[in-house]
Amino acid sequence: MHNEMMTIEDFTHFIETYGADPNRWPIDSNKSIKGFLLDNTSAKKVLAEYQELEQRMDSYGVPEFRGLEQKVLKQALPPQRNSLLAQLLNWIIPKEASNKQLWRPAVAACLPLMFGIVLGNYYSFGIDTVIDEYDYWEGEFAFLALSDYSEGMINE
Amino acid sequence: MTDEELMQAICNGDQDAYQTVVKQHLKSISHYAFRILDNQKDTEDITQEAFLKLWINAEKWQPEKAKLSTWLHRITHNLCIDYLRKHRNIQTQENVEEENEKRTDWRDSHADGEEERLQESRLKTAVNSLPENQRSALMLCHYSGFSNKEAAVIMNISVKALESAIARAKRSLRKQLSGANSAQSEEKARLRNYPNP
Repeated sequence: MHNEMMTIEDFTHFIETYGADPNRWPIDSNKSIKGFLLDNTSAKKVLAEYQELEQRMDSYGVPEFRGLEQKVLKQALPPQRNSLLAQLLNWIIPKEASNKQLWRPAVAACLPLMFGIVLGNYYSFGIDTVIDEYDYWEGEFAFLALSDYSEGMINE
Repeated sequence: MTDEELMQAICNGDQDAYQTVVKQHLKSISHYAFRILDNQKDTEDITQEAFLKLWINAEKWQPEKAKLSTWLHRITHNLCIDYLRKHRNIQTQENVEEENEKRTDWRDSHADGEEERLQESRLKTAVNSLPENQRSALMLCHYSGFSNKEAAVIMNISVKALESAIARAKRSLRKQLSGANSAQSEEKARLRNYPNP
């Protein structure tokens, strides 16, 4: 809003919209409004009237709501509907990390290892670690010595 | 803790975070509801419901879109409007004007000690006679200290509509209160000139 274009109606509408407190006026209009006020007695009168109105509006008292805070805090709150994954993550890594709860991430970290041990103990997954070809020590030594294994066996 | 952290904790069911949020916003929420409803019992019910909704819908708050106080006021505003629609007729411009014509109740009291109470009662009557959207706009901008933009978000209207509502509200209040003052001055002058026997 430019100072030379502003009318008293514009100024009144501005005060009605943004209030009579200059601290609440938009920064981009602040300068032009203050400029308009400087050389306009009607504008000063309007501003004074709205300042008085706003002062009167401040007398609108509100009663004290005793016990309301307790009522709000004590009302029954339904459980939060979090996903299972979110709940699990929250249990493993609690927001308020304390030493007493350190066992949770530790257990979570060890679980895959324990699971692997148990699984490996019971299932071979088709992998046979016993090699029948090396049942005899002699044969194995012969193999390690890079000797002709078949020849040795034939000699015997 | 920031608002984001508090709300994240509430999403995870943290009641301490809920308690913190309640303590931070209870006063502004209950005052806003009271100024809209003008009734202590209803205000308490609506305030409780607003915080219950905050707990239930905590994950719906989007911090990049609105501040927590703005979002919470919007919940309260919607609850108040729903309540008014269910329990009372929302005042329209027409019945406001009818009521304004009927209003002459301040002429009875002249004692100096009652002057402040009278002023407040006159103000409350004038404010409560405003249509709902004007009253809400006034409450949010003048009493709750929201910017016009934030108040428009709370009321789910455009900034222009908000500014129009607030300008109308102030014009109406100014007219009503200055009318009341001049009526009272005339009455005082009349009593001075022609005192009751």
